[in-house]
Amino acid sequence: MKAIADAIGFNLVVISPTIALVLTALILLFFTITIESNEKVKQVITFSGVVSTLFCVFLKFGLFLQNGVSSYFSKKILLDEFSLFGNVLIGLILLFNILPIWDSSSQLREKTTEAIILTLMSTSGFMLMVDSENLIMLFIGLEIGSISLYALAGLNRVDKLSNEASLKYFLLGSLASCIFIYGVSLVYVSFSVLSVYDFATGVGFVGADSVPLTTKLGVILTFIGLLFKIAAAPFQSWAPDVYQGSPTGYVGYMASVAKASAFIVIARLCQVSLRFMPNEFDSFFLFVVILSVVIGSIFASVQDDLKRLLAYSGVVQSGFILSGIVSGINGTSASMFYLFAYIIQLIGIFVIFSIINGKMSSNFNIQDIQGLIINNKFLAVTFCTFMLGLAGIPLTSGFVSKFILLTNLWAYQKYLLVSILLLSTVAGFYFYLKPIWIATIEKTETPVENFKIKRSEYLLISSLATMTIFFGLVPSSLINISRWVVQSYL
Amino acid sequence: MISLAYSFILLPIVNSIFIFLVPKRRGELFRPLSIFLSLIPLGLCLYMFINQDLKTSFVVVDSISWITAYGIDLIIGFSGMSFLLISLNCLLVLLSILSVNQDHGSSKGFLGSIMLLQGSVNGVFLAGDLISLFIFFEALLIPMYFLMGIWGGENKRYATIKFILYTVFGSIFILAGTIYTGVLSFQSSGAFALDFDSIANISMTSNQSKVLFLLFTFGFLIKVPLFPLHTWLPDAHVEAPTAGSILLAGVLLKVGAYGILRVSIPFFTEGFLEYQFLIAFLSVFGIIYGAIVAIVQIDIKKLIAYSSISHMGFVMLGISAGRYLSLEGAVIQMINHGITSGALFMLVGFLYDRRHTRRISDFGGLKKSMPLYAGIFLFTSFASIGLPGLNGFVGEFMILMGSFPSFKILSSIAAFGVVLAAIYMLWAYQRIFNGQLNNDENAVLTDLNSKELVAVGPLLILMLFIGVYPSFVESYIVNDVSIIYDAINSLSGGLE
Repeated sequence: MKAIADAIGFNLVVISPTIALVLTALILLFFTITIESNEKVKQVITFSGVVSTLFCVFLKFGLFLQNGVSSYFSKKILLDEFSLFGNVLIGLILLFNILPIWDSSSQLREKTTEAIILTLMSTSGFMLMVDSENLIMLFIGLEIGSISLYALAGLNRVDKLSNEASLKYFLLGSLASCIFIYGVSLVYVSFSVLSVYDFATGVGFVGADSVPLTTKLGVILTFIGLLFKIAAAPFQSWAPDVYQGSPTGYVGYMASVAKASAFIVIARLCQVSLRFMPNEFDSFFLFVVILSVVIGSIFASVQDDLKRLLAYSGVVQSGFILSGIVSGINGTSASMFYLFAYIIQLIGIFVIFSIINGKMSSNFNIQDIQGLIINNKFLAVTFCTFMLGLAGIPLTSGFVSKFILLTNLWAYQKYLLVSILLLSTVAGFYFYLKPIWIATIEKTETPVENFKIKRSEYLLISSLATMTIFFGLVPSSLINISRWVVQSYL
Repeated sequence: MISLAYSFILLPIVNSIFIFLVPKRRGELFRPLSIFLSLIPLGLCLYMFINQDLKTSFVVVDSISWITAYGIDLIIGFSGMSFLLISLNCLLVLLSILSVNQDHGSSKGFLGSIMLLQGSVNGVFLAGDLISLFIFFEALLIPMYFLMGIWGGENKRYATIKFILYTVFGSIFILAGTIYTGVLSFQSSGAFALDFDSIANISMTSNQSKVLFLLFTFGFLIKVPLFPLHTWLPDAHVEAPTAGSILLAGVLLKVGAYGILRVSIPFFTEGFLEYQFLIAFLSVFGIIYGAIVAIVQIDIKKLIAYSSISHMGFVMLGISAGRYLSLEGAVIQMINHGITSGALFMLVGFLYDRRHTRRISDFGGLKKSMPLYAGIFLFTSFASIGLPGLNGFVGEFMILMGSFPSFKILSSIAAFGVVLAAIYMLWAYQRIFNGQLNNDENAVLTDLNSKELVAVGPLLILMLFIGVYPSFVESYIVNDVSIIYDAINSLSGGLE
């Protein structure tokens, strides 16, 4: 028995975060359906589930120290720096978002825990996605994660916009999944590999020039499926509607988790699978990056809805992160830093939004934060911090991430990219300062009333804001981590 | 020494936090408290003037490792020139807080923002590497954004956004230059060392030097501002509150010129020699253009704003000429302009607080109702025009004298700027203060009170002091200027 287990690399530790999440979700589901238990019990279950997930991620570090980069379950699951970084990041995203999601579920008409269950399930899927070595496994993870997100978007059943968002997300998301799996099948048909490592070995064996055109097409289609998830232009059309329509309490999670995991997968595909054909898809990625930055900047400048603005700003930021990943190994490390910093700011902003806008509402006009500073000093100051962080002003992590990213791009001699990205920061200052102006400066007769902020929300927002400032002042530790992520590919 | 240098950045920040912590109901405390708090940095300046040898070129005081993986350190240091500018900054901050009206004086946000601005401007002058220079250069946008946005005039939104976007547009060039320098530094030494010593040792080709010079200088010139990059300045000045205008004209414009003197010329001298004439040409164009446009202004504040463009044109002419005398004149003129235009904006602010208008045609005959004010305004105008015996003369004379050998025609034309300055300042004086007191509202205006006199007095003393004893200022900047001059001289093979 043990011999078989060793042969296929059977190791439960390596998928333990996923198992913990699924188990928690199932127990919670069981409690919700069968026993009329009180909130406290469910809260304890959820909390212990999240904590044990983080503990399982910790266990994986132990396994990594022991085995190094290694494959499990007959080359289905991979344990490498990317997957560990992804696990930590997704675990943190869950930790930071569980609070607003928990609060919002009590506002549901049915007062059930389905939002939590969906969140846990989708986290488990994305955990699996960043762990997978095999493209089919990757697809399974992606689908488990995404389907729960489609449901989350439409959880406010009485809101038409929420329904619309869910349907739109579902239809376009399925289309992207189709494109992704079609690309995978093309790669398999023409190249007979599904593992990300085997692909690189195969290319190294036959030489980059003799890779069939079908395979290249398959690779591009696979990437398109993933680019859809990070909302890079021209695959961004779902983002604004979904951000706007989905219940505000969930958007922070939906936006960050899909982006984080898709970026990590893209980074691994670029650095591992395409290492022997590094410049093959340059023009494709250049096209995507430039289009994302330009379209995102232009459309973000004219938005009146804050959530739409954040969606388009997300398109710009995706362009930034992608530009580093596709440039090379140091660029990837800079992008990982950028990704982390961006996710922190994004979650922070959406936690604030969910307090101001209400957890379940959809529309969030920019005038709804008028005079925020008058009655809500704390929210206004932290909101400004996150916005300035996104704009990339010095003393925030946004500046450091932009600086090291552009430095690496310049070192790769991508002058066109650098100049376009720099110009987009100027546009960024325009549309990130607009909400700040309305929240703090614009005179108003009817300022936003004072919001009751729970102590846990205080703690959450202030720790996210502190991280934004901290990594702007003392970025060395996170930069070292981001360099550790790519160390085996240097 | 280390703690002293840090305190110029940290003290203002601590001060502003202190102000923010005072409860809102004790509104009457804000102004006295902030005057007291801003006396501390100024006191430190005085202490250093007395106890330290400040007549040095740039001395590194301390360095903190920032990004260890890239080998980037943040370095802090000072020189005689930067120290003079820091003192000017601390003085102007104190005086502008002294001069604020009741409205602004009772708002802790306003006073706190001024102090944050003070800290970040000091940071620019103390920065010993390109990254910290850039960090402080952009960080000063945040307090300025709130100062102009919240307490600005009617059209503040347009002016603020224009100011921010212009500056950010300039700063992306500086960022690009910083990154390029870092990459070059990496190629030659294996680390992204961006401190001034390492940059000086980078071996770069002539083309690289030219590109880098253009990148940095373009970014700094927007801040100076040089014609035709100046269009944000009149809007910003008109809409900013008085204290904001004082600091904007007094120190923020100097940040640009300081950057050119500290970074662009010494490190990228080949680029400087290539584009020297272009900058000189634009400066002279700006001198004449600013002066002519100032003549036709109907708003006093806008008039002074355009006069700033003209005066900063002189500074840039002196810098671009690259002679020892003209460089020294440029630095002295930077300080002079900070003092004079600060005083002018303060005086206009006093008038605006009384009359709530800045249109020249609304005034006339003010000499009768406000004799003291008229005298002080005339004195300051003379300093601004460049009357011998007052500070403006020293700088402009040195600049014109020094740049004549380099650009004979251009500096001859620039000399007309002084004549035009006399026209716009004296004509404005005539329309405001002389003539009949036709308007009843003007007849009842009260003269300056003692509080306002205290605010403007130190600047008047400095105008006279620098006018009769310029070698005091000169002695502090000699070493800085020699280094810049040597860099130019060694490449151009001796201009003189």
